Amino acid sequence: MPQTASRPMKVSYQDLFWIFFKAGMAFGGGLGILAVLEEELVTRFKVVSREDFLTYYGISRIVPSGSMTALAVAFGYRLGGFWGTIIALTAMVVPAFAITVLLTMFYQVLKNTNLLPWLEVSVLPAALALILAAAIKLGKDVFRPSAGFLLAAGAFAAVSFFKWNPALVLLAGGLLGIILFRSSQGEAK
Amino acid sequence: MSLLSFILLIFTFNLLTFGNGPAMIPMLQADLVDHAQVLSIEQLLYAFAIARVTPGQANVYVASIGYFLFGLSGAFLATLAIQLPGYIMLPFMRTYERMRSNAWVGRFTRGLTVASVGLIFAATFSIGIKTLGEPVTWIVFIVTLLTIVLLKWNQMLGLLLASLLGILLKLLL
Repeated sequence: MPQTASRPMKVSYQDLFWIFFKAGMAFGGGLGILAVLEEELVTRFKVVSREDFLTYYGISRIVPSGSMTALAVAFGYRLGGFWGTIIALTAMVVPAFAITVLLTMFYQVLKNTNLLPWLEVSVLPAALALILAAAIKLGKDVFRPSAGFLLAAGAFAAVSFFKWNPALVLLAGGLLGIILFRSSQGEAK
Repeated sequence: MSLLSFILLIFTFNLLTFGNGPAMIPMLQADLVDHAQVLSIEQLLYAFAIARVTPGQANVYVASIGYFLFGLSGAFLATLAIQLPGYIMLPFMRTYERMRSNAWVGRFTRGLTVASVGLIFAATFSIGIKTLGEPVTWIVFIVTLLTIVLLKWNQMLGLLLASLLGILLKLLL
């Protein structure tokens, strides 16, 4: 891809591993992972623009795969080629895999203990705050009176209140974008 | 049930549900618990409970089911089966990178990113409804938000301290 090849490489394989390992340690499912990736790739290392980050996220919701799996492949490939995808995927899944297998090995001992009530008053609400903070940062360009704000609000309502399929909402958003963003702001950089 | 047919089953269900962990539960129950009867309902529920107390992707609990049925190789191959479809992303990405200079694609992409913001807030909202309930959860949530957004603390530090506060409050109240 010529666009990415011209970009200077600012992330080593080692950085890539730790970024995705950290993401794989996040609570809150896919969005918890997304919050870490935003923090590391967009804010800290600045190797992905906010616009590209959101575009890749949008595409990852449309392909028939776990969104974070697809995103790990996308960013891994962009930052480190084929080996980048292996490193990103492996680093991201190792924490969950190791903990899952360990907890399953001790099934007989643990099946009657219940960790969930403790997590419910500690890590889970705290993770929600990280997720919300990341969502606000990602939405920076949208929070002003504009056609974009209406479109984002419409997508929010369609999924939250009318339970529309997210992939279809994204496609509809793209098509509406063609109609709404006729001015120069819609041009790709 | 052979290891191969189990892996194919996980691969297919994961693909059909777009990698959505909870959505796979009823399918797994119908096939593994009710039909093939190789997994007990307690084991399935335990696997799903693990997903809720484990960080990372919500569909890695299939590793637990793989372990119950075939040991470590089952856990490993089940995890591989849910990771592989991620590569479907590459042709989509290539197409986008090739066409992004086109004005129409640029406008479509802008619509897509804006809708993505709406979707991220929708997902945050749905997690919020499930997560926030008793007062302690609200306190932990707001304290974390204040420390990382207003005071610009390191995220991990904010998360850890607020979590400890939550556990402390739960013990005291």
